[in-house]
Amino acid sequence: MNPKIKDLIITTFLSILFGMILSGLLLLFLDKNPITAFGKLFSFLFRDGYTFADIFVKATPLIFTALAFAFTFKASLFNIGAQGQFYMGAVAALSVSHLLGGIIPGPVALIIIFLSSLLAGGVWGALVGFVKAKFNANDFLVSMMSVYIALAFMNYLLRTVLIESKHEYPQSDPILKDVFLPIFVNGTRLHTGFLMAVVIAVLCWIFLYKTTYGYRIRVVGMNPIAAKFAGIEAGRIYILAFLISGGLAGLAGFTEVNGVQHMLVQDFNTTIGAEGIGIAILANANPIGIIFGAILFGALKVGGSILGQTSGIPSSIIELMEGFVMLFVILSYYVRRKLELRREILKLKSEAEV
Amino acid sequence: MISLLTRAVLMSTPILLGATAEVFAERAGMMIIAIEGIFLIGAWGGFVGVYLTQSYLLGFLLAGVLGVLAAMLYGYITIYLKQHQIVTGIAINILIAGLIAFFHRVIFGIPLLPLTIEPLKTLPIPLLSKIPAIGQILFNQNILTYLAFIGAPLGFFILFRTSTGLIIRSTGENPVSVDVAGLKVERIRFTVTAIAGFVGAIAGSFYSVAFLGMFSNTIIGGRGWIAFAICFLGNWNPLGALIGALIFGLAEAIAIYMQSSGGTFLPNELFIALPYILTIVLTISRKNFNVPAKLGIPYQKEN
Amino acid sequence: MKEPFIELRNISKYFARVIANKDVSFTINKGEVLALLGENGAGKSTIMKALYGLYHADEGEFIIDNEPCIINSPKDAMRMGIGMIQQHFSLIPAHTVLENIVLGNEKGILDRKKLAEKVYSLSQKYNFNIDPNSYIKDLPVGVQQKVEILKALYQDVKLLIMDEPTAVLTPQEAITLMDFVKDFVKRGHSVVFISHKLQEVMHIADRIIVMRNGIVLGDILKKDTNEKDLSKLMVGKDIPVLKKTTTQFSETILKVENLTVAGKQGHLALKNVSFTIGKGEILGIAGVSGNGQQELGETLSGLYLTKEGEIYLENQPINSLSVKERIDAGIGYVHADRHTAGLVLDMSLSENLLLKTSFHKEWSNKSFIKRKKLNKHAEKIVQNYSVKTSGIDEQMKGLSGGNQQKVVLGREVEIGTKLIIFDQPTRGLDLGAIEYVHRTILEERNKGKCILLISTELSEIFALSDRIGVLYDGKLLRIMDKEDANTESIGLLMAGINNIEANSDNINTKDKLPGRENTNNES
Repeated sequence: MNPKIKDLIITTFLSILFGMILSGLLLLFLDKNPITAFGKLFSFLFRDGYTFADIFVKATPLIFTALAFAFTFKASLFNIGAQGQFYMGAVAALSVSHLLGGIIPGPVALIIIFLSSLLAGGVWGALVGFVKAKFNANDFLVSMMSVYIALAFMNYLLRTVLIESKHEYPQSDPILKDVFLPIFVNGTRLHTGFLMAVVIAVLCWIFLYKTTYGYRIRVVGMNPIAAKFAGIEAGRIYILAFLISGGLAGLAGFTEVNGVQHMLVQDFNTTIGAEGIGIAILANANPIGIIFGAILFGALKVGGSILGQTSGIPSSIIELMEGFVMLFVILSYYVRRKLELRREILKLKSEAEV
Repeated sequence: MISLLTRAVLMSTPILLGATAEVFAERAGMMIIAIEGIFLIGAWGGFVGVYLTQSYLLGFLLAGVLGVLAAMLYGYITIYLKQHQIVTGIAINILIAGLIAFFHRVIFGIPLLPLTIEPLKTLPIPLLSKIPAIGQILFNQNILTYLAFIGAPLGFFILFRTSTGLIIRSTGENPVSVDVAGLKVERIRFTVTAIAGFVGAIAGSFYSVAFLGMFSNTIIGGRGWIAFAICFLGNWNPLGALIGALIFGLAEAIAIYMQSSGGTFLPNELFIALPYILTIVLTISRKNFNVPAKLGIPYQKEN
Repeated sequence: MKEPFIELRNISKYFARVIANKDVSFTINKGEVLALLGENGAGKSTIMKALYGLYHADEGEFIIDNEPCIINSPKDAMRMGIGMIQQHFSLIPAHTVLENIVLGNEKGILDRKKLAEKVYSLSQKYNFNIDPNSYIKDLPVGVQQKVEILKALYQDVKLLIMDEPTAVLTPQEAITLMDFVKDFVKRGHSVVFISHKLQEVMHIADRIIVMRNGIVLGDILKKDTNEKDLSKLMVGKDIPVLKKTTTQFSETILKVENLTVAGKQGHLALKNVSFTIGKGEILGIAGVSGNGQQELGETLSGLYLTKEGEIYLENQPINSLSVKERIDAGIGYVHADRHTAGLVLDMSLSENLLLKTSFHKEWSNKSFIKRKKLNKHAEKIVQNYSVKTSGIDEQMKGLSGGNQQKVVLGREVEIGTKLIIFDQPTRGLDLGAIEYVHRTILEERNKGKCILLISTELSEIFALSDRIGVLYDGKLLRIMDKEDANTESIGLLMAGINNIEANSDNINTKDKLPGRENTNNES
C-alpha cells in the first residue's frame, strides 16, 4: 500500500485514540474512572436500535457543514459562516414548509423545500464570495461576522413573523406531518436526510475531482496566479465555491427542521458549524472521509449525552474530545510531513550509494 | 449623551486591548486566530480567580497566565510545527470552550444560583475627573480602560520608534532579512504571540470581571473576532485600532441604550447585529494598505 | 602580498534531495577578489551560505585567521567580519533605507536624525548617493543593491561575498559595481564574487575557483588561464552548436502597434512599443529585467489591458480578447516564473497539462474530464520531451527544474499554434535542459510559428534570434537584424543609450532617456 496512505490511516486512528485518552484523563478531575466511562459510552451506543440509529441522525447535519467548509477550503477560501448559512437554510425550510404544507402533495413540497434551503444558504454564502471577489475582503472575517448577523435575523423572525400561534415563546409552530422527512428505519429517528447527505457527499467528491469545474476550483485554491494565466477568473470561482458551500450548509437546515425538530427554535444545533470545520480537518477535506468523520462525531455526541444523563459526566466532555482529536490531527499533519521527508532522504542516500 | 460616550469608552476597552495585542502579533506575521478562545479563557480565568480569592489582581493574573498558555500552544503548533494558522486556531477555540465548561463543572459543580462577583469599580483620577463632560467620559473609568488607552499610544511608540518595534515589523514584512541579521525569527514570533495571549486574556476578563460580574459560555459572543477585525481596520497601527475600537464601542453603547430604553420601531436584534454589520462594511470600504507582507505564512528556511 | 584570511576545509552539505557540496576546500586571501565560477546548481551559493551561517555544514570546518571557527548563524559570521549580498535581496520594500540598514545593528530607542547622518556619511565614503529616508520599493534595483552593500559596510566587514550581483544590473551599472569591488579590495579587504558569467569573472577576479556538481574542479590564478579553458572546466563536455537555418519571412503574423501599458505601480511599463513578427521568425527581446519584459508578455497573453495601441494576430485585432480567448486563438506563453505562473506544483503532471485547456470540449465530456484521453496525451509528452519522472501522476513539485520546464514547453507549444512567447525560458536550468529548450524553440519556429523570445541572457538571444530588439524603460529601442548586432551595441541599448549612428565621436550626443537608472550618474 502507498506509504503515504498508510501513514494517513495510522495517524488518523492514533489522533482519535489520543484525543479520547486525553479527555478521559481529565475525567479523573471529577473522580470518575475514565475506563469505565468510555466503556459505558461504547456500550450505550449499541444498547438499542434507536440509540445506534441516532448516531447517523446526529451525523447528518455535520456532513453538510463539514462539506461546506471543505468545499471552499479546496479553493483556499475559509467559509467560517456555515453556522449562519445553516440558520438561513433552516428559516427557509420552515417558512416554505408552513407555506406549502398541506397545500401541495408532500414529496413535491419536500423537493421545493430542499431547493429553498439550498438557495437560502447558497445566497447567504455567495454574498461572502461576492464581497471577496469584488473587494478582496477577508473571507474569514466576513463569513465569521455573517454568522452573528444570521443568528440575529433568525431570532428576530422567531420573535415576530414566524412565532407560534400562542405567541408565548420565541419558537415556531410545528410543521405538518406531510412535510416531515420520512423515517426509513422503523423504531428510530433515522430519516432519509442521512441518505441524502451521503449521496451529496459522493456528488461533491465527483464534482471536485472528475469535472472541469471542480478542477478549476482546485487550481485556484492551489495556485491563483497560475489560474489567472490559464484564463481562469478567480472571482467567479470564489462566488461559485461560496455559493455551493453555503448551499450545503443550508441543507443542514432542511434536514434538521424537516427531519428532526419539525419546528424552529432558538439555540438548537449551535455548534454544528464549528464541528463541521473540525470534521473537515480530520478528513483532510475529502468528501468521502467527511462521511466517516461525521459519523464519528455523531457517535461522540450520542454517547456523550447519554453519559451526561446517566453518570453525571458533563456534556462538555464531547467538546473536549472533539477539540483534542482536532489538535492531534493537526499534530499528525506535522508527523506525516516529517515521515515523508525522512523517506525522501533515505531514498537519496540509497541512490547516492549506488 | 455623556453617559452614552462614557459607555462607549468603556465598551471599547477590551476591543482596544485585544486589537493592540493583535497588531503587534500581526506585525510580526502571526494571525492569532485563537483570539476568541483567548478572550474566553481570560473571561473565565478572571472570574474564577476573583471569585475564589476575592482579589482582582490575582484574578487578572490567572486570566493572563491562562491566556499565555493558550497562546503558547497556538504559537508552538503554528510557528515551530509550521501548521496552518486558521485550522489550528479554530481547533484551539473549540478546545478552550470545552475545557472551560468542563473545569467550571469540576470547580463549581452545578450551582443552584448563578455565581456572581462584584464588578471592578471605577477609579476616578483626582482633579482630572472633575472636568465637566470630558472628566466623566475619560477620567472616570476603571483601571483596565486606563491601561488600554495608555497602552495603545505606548504600543505605537514601541512599534515605530524603537529597535524592538523595527525588528517586530521586519519579521512580518520579510523574515529573511531578520534571519540574515542574525536574529531568531521564530523566537520573536513566539514571544510576541505569548504576550498577545496575556493581553488578550486580560481583555476577555473585562467582560466578566469589569463589566458583568458573572460568567457564561456566551459572554464573549464574537468580540474576540471584532478585536481581530479592528486590527485590520486600524491598518495594523495601534492608533488606528484606537479609533476603530472607539467606533465599535460607540456602536455597542448605542445598542445597549436602544435595548434598555424599551424599543423603538427598529427591532432589538438589529442593534445586536449592528457591530458585526459595521465590521463587514468597514472591511469592504478599507483598502488594506499595510498588510504585513508575510502575514500568516510560516517561516521556512530555504531548502 | 596575499595572506590567507579564511580557509574552508572539506566542507560538505546535503539537502533532502541533493548533495549540494562535497569535500570543498579552498582559501580566501586578504586584498583579493576570488571568483566562484560555475553554472546554475554547481553549489557556489550553497558553500558561501554555509560560510555565512545561513546553512549548517554537515562536514568540514572553517579556519579564520588561523583559528578554527564555529559559524552557526549570520550573527557569528558578521562577528568574524563576513558579510553577504544575496541574489535576492533581503531588504524590506515597505521600509526605508535607514530602517533596513539599522535592523539588528542598533538597539533601544531610535534617533532617526542621528542615524540618518551616520548612514549618509558612510554612503559618501564609497561614492554611493542614497537618501536614507527613501523607501526601498521606490528605488531602482541597482540602488537597492547598493543599500544591501551599505548594510554590510555598516558592520565593518572584511570579507564581502557577492552572489551573482550583476544579474539585475545593466552593463554600465555592472562597471560601477566593479569599481567599488576594486576600491574595497584595495583597502585590504576580500571579495568573493559568485558568478556564472565567464567574461565578468575574467575581468574582475584575481583568482578563480571553478565548481561543478558541488565539487571544486579548479583553483587558478587569472593570469594562468583564459575563457576557453574555464568554460571547459565549468561544463565538462562539448555542447553541440545548434545549426540555425535562415528563412525568408513571408507574412506578418503578429503586429504590435504603439502599445502603451500601465504597470502595477501606476507608472507606464510599456511606452509606444511597436514591432512585427513574421511566420517562422524569432524576434529576440534583450534587456535587463524590470524594463517591461514581463508586462510585454503578460499584455500579449491577455493579462494586462492596454492603455493605448493595438495588437493584431493574423490581421485580426485581439486587444479585447480575454486570456482564455487568446489561448483559444493559439497564443502560447512560457512565463518567466514557471513555478508561480506556469504550473500548479501540487497537482500531477497530467493535471498540469490541462491547466489552460480545461474549457475546451476536446478534454471534457459535459464537464467531466476525459481522463483516458488526458493520460494518453501526458504519456506522449513525457516520451516526446524525455521528461524524467516516475509517472504521469507524479506531483510536479517532484520533478527537477529542467523537467518541469519541459512539461510547460510541451503544453505551450501545443497551445501556441500561431504565436509562442518565451520569457526567460532557461533561467535556472542546467546546460542539458537549456540545450533542449533551445532545440524546441527552433523546431517550433521551423514549423512556421512566430516566436517572441524575451531573455536577459545575451548569448541565448544571439544564438536563436533572427532579429533583436532591446527593451529599456518600457521602450523598444531599435530592432536590428542579428547580423548587424553585437554585444557592445546591445549593451549600450540595454542601458538606454541609443546612438543614431554608432561612431565613437557621437557618444556625447547620446539620446539619454529619462529613466529610473539615471539617478546614479557614475558611468
